[in-house]
Amino acid sequence: MSSKDTKLASMRRAFGEALFALALKNPNLYVVDADLYPSLYLTDFKARFRSRFIQVGVAENNAAAIAAGLSATGKTVFLTSFACFSPAINWATIRQSICYNHHPVKIVGSHAGLMSADLGASHQMLEDVALMRTLPNMEVFAPIDASELKMMLPVIAYSQTPAYLRLVRPDTPLVNSARSFTIGKSRFLKRGDKITVLGYGPILTQLLLPDFDKFSLDIINCSSIKPLDDKTILTSIKKTGRCLVIEDHQQNGGLGEAVAKLILTSGQKCKFIHLGVNNAFGQSAHNYFDLYHHYALSPLAIRESLKKLLSTHAHS
Amino acid sequence: MALFSAPKTHPLHSKARSLRLDILEMINHAGFGHIGSAFSSVDILISLYNSKLFNFKKDRFVLSAGHLCASLYAVLADTGYFDKEELFTFAQFNSRLQGHATIDTPGINYSAGSLGQGLSYSIGLALGDPKHHVVCLSSDGEHNEGQVWEAIMAANKFHLGNLISIVDYNGCQIGGTTQEIMPLDELAGKYLRFGWTVTTVDGHNFYELARVLKKSKDSSIYPACIIVKTVLGKGVSFMENNCQYHDIKKLAPDLFITAKNELQRY
Ligand SMILES: Cc1ncc(C[n+]2csc(CCOP(=O)(O)OP(=O)(O)O)c2C)c(N)n1
Repeated sequence: MSSKDTKLASMRRAFGEALFALALKNPNLYVVDADLYPSLYLTDFKARFRSRFIQVGVAENNAAAIAAGLSATGKTVFLTSFACFSPAINWATIRQSICYNHHPVKIVGSHAGLMSADLGASHQMLEDVALMRTLPNMEVFAPIDASELKMMLPVIAYSQTPAYLRLVRPDTPLVNSARSFTIGKSRFLKRGDKITVLGYGPILTQLLLPDFDKFSLDIINCSSIKPLDDKTILTSIKKTGRCLVIEDHQQNGGLGEAVAKLILTSGQKCKFIHLGVNNAFGQSAHNYFDLYHHYALSPLAIRESLKKLLSTHAHS
Repeated sequence: MALFSAPKTHPLHSKARSLRLDILEMINHAGFGHIGSAFSSVDILISLYNSKLFNFKKDRFVLSAGHLCASLYAVLADTGYFDKEELFTFAQFNSRLQGHATIDTPGINYSAGSLGQGLSYSIGLALGDPKHHVVCLSSDGEHNEGQVWEAIMAANKFHLGNLISIVDYNGCQIGGTTQEIMPLDELAGKYLRFGWTVTTVDGHNFYELARVLKKSKDSSIYPACIIVKTVLGKGVSFMENNCQYHDIKKLAPDLFITAKNELQRY
């Protein structure tokens, strides 16, 4: 989004390709799917690795516990569906069969957030980060773009904890320039010293508009939502004294709450604005820009928030 | 029973044609929609809403498979719940016609989109208002969900003679046929074993549909299941039984014209 010719790419396609590449190297890698593999670009995976593709149908609870059982036999297991079904429907199964039984199943929830514009509220999952953050040992990741997803996937695949990976539906701007991904480490997208901006997923790329350069933003990509990179975040906030958190998710239970707690606990003083969906369901639209506008997540709302943060004294 | 014969002699046949055209236009205009199941289910809905058997001011219809809402919107517009022009707002910002059915739309009793919950919801309605009927439409793929079977058991326990479960059995899901994704095998036999009365019917034959709806409504002791054998994409040859047409974006202009021509001759 930094210029008109920013390239777009599909995070979901990147997922399908990266998982295929991993499966070529790892004969223990399995997919458990709940009748959505074409949407996660796993058609090639299914064709090539027939015996490692377990189709359980539209049955997300069954899928989660089957994935846990497979994982118990030493397999690397990816559970694939949309976020509004997995982890939404099968949360209690994930809690017990996966987390409580210590199985490092990787739960991939696609089509998260308002970005699934025309599908409407039933599919626009805005509570998944909240649901997954609360589970003991569960790690939570949301790549900013297809490029970061590709770096993330092998790292997540081989970590020994259960993990949730949040993907979105549309093609989104390619902005990642980092060469590697480390769990618990965040990334600067831009350096500045007036306002710390935190977020995850493609919504954060809106902050890269040249328009916002004048605000001197310290933009941090928190793609590792849990564990969170406390140190980098607090160091930035110490410098700026102002913080904007933006997420395509409910404010309740989201990254903003995690950051607010972090700041309060640290004893630092900071002006704070949290942009997210405020206690509402989504709705259909032809494109998600209309929804970002409606739910005050668009560049317009961002500009207002940045101005507001600057208009007050930091550290006061 | 000559399957999928769609006899043109029935008075509702012209509706089956014109509402299919509405659905095609509406989905193509939105560049979004589950067209395959809209075409498989539309004749069921036409039968329901044009029959004198039910009074949907008191009896309740529950669409459990919220994704096939395009056919319900077309039928509700045709029945007078809202203007036909409104169909062209489907899945647009600020529209009452959301991408998946919602309770805020006139004529719709249940917000859906996540499969597997509508039959349970219907049981709640049937228990709470035993004097009226509840008709629930679900899809075959939806029966992959465990909750559907919990509901099928519960309906029997509560002797819900006022509950009718209609299953759009088009044999397709997202990633392939129902047989490939999760075989349902003899679905009729399963409902039967769970204590329901069951009838299987050709879902594109209005004479048959009317007869079976009447019979199911008359079943006052047992919950009634109607397995409706349908064709995904019925009416457009390149969509018929082609699971790729589960949902579409905008059709290529030549495909749109072919589809429209075929439907005009339906
Ligand atoms: C709980 C849940 N899981 C997954 C989906 C995604 N989904 C939408 S339609 C569909 C196919 C299910 O088969 P069926 O309803 O029989 O398809 P159709 O009749 O439209 O061909 C799936 C998996 C969903 N809507 N709800």
